[in-house]
Amino acid sequence: MNVYDFTAKNKRGEDKSLADYKNNVLLIVNTASKCGFTYQYDELQKLYDAYKDKGFVVLGFPCNQFAGQEPGSNDEVQQFCKLNYGVTFPIFAKGDVRGDNAQPLFKFLTAQKKFEGFDMNHPIASKLLDALKQNFPEFLEGDGIKWNFTKFLIDRSGNVVKRFEPTTNPAEIAKDIENLL
Amino acid sequence: MVKVYSFEGCPYCDKVKKYLAARGIAYEVHDIEENPEDAAECQRISGDLTVPVTTIDGKNFVLGFDKKKIDELLATA
Repeated sequence: MNVYDFTAKNKRGEDKSLADYKNNVLLIVNTASKCGFTYQYDELQKLYDAYKDKGFVVLGFPCNQFAGQEPGSNDEVQQFCKLNYGVTFPIFAKGDVRGDNAQPLFKFLTAQKKFEGFDMNHPIASKLLDALKQNFPEFLEGDGIKWNFTKFLIDRSGNVVKRFEPTTNPAEIAKDIENLL
Repeated sequence: MVKVYSFEGCPYCDKVKKYLAARGIAYEVHDIEENPEDAAECQRISGDLTVPVTTIDGKNFVLGFDKKKIDELLATA
């Protein structure tokens, strides 16, 4: 079994088979509107721009499960969100990525690659961990998606190669992508 | 009528809506993600697709969840 066995709803609500992306290197990401981790959208777009001609695609799966509580939002001056703008990689329909109603693709991805902790060197890691402990302690259990911008790298044969937590910036994944291209 | 430009999953938009509701003020929600016309209007009013944008006349507006500024805006109505 690999990611090509799954379908997902596109933005128009139609079924799209991931087999349509065969022979490409994929980065599957659960995204959220620009309220926190704002820069990650831009970095994902940059990765896509840099490698799309070599057969690399970012697949964005918007999800509101983590939207209500942005880590650190209470201390931030910024009290607004920006609509994603200028993103050209495929964005699928909104849906759950964790819990009983999670999309099958995400159940598969999280079963394939376990949660191995956040990179605590990331500037927002301790805030994120505190926010989770305080608001969603159950999210920290098991291998489910912990927060927006969890990234799964897929090789050209549809195998899940690596999982990156929100605390890994997309730009840091460039080397891993290059290795698969 | 007070208009709130917003989109789903924007916690500050929800705060503005809750604040207005708590003050008993009726408002219209304009979802800039779902409706291109609302996005264009938001862009025209504020110059960006950043929300929440709260406005009454489509000229003066408050960006973000800022109680003080929202109060001032309402006071002008």
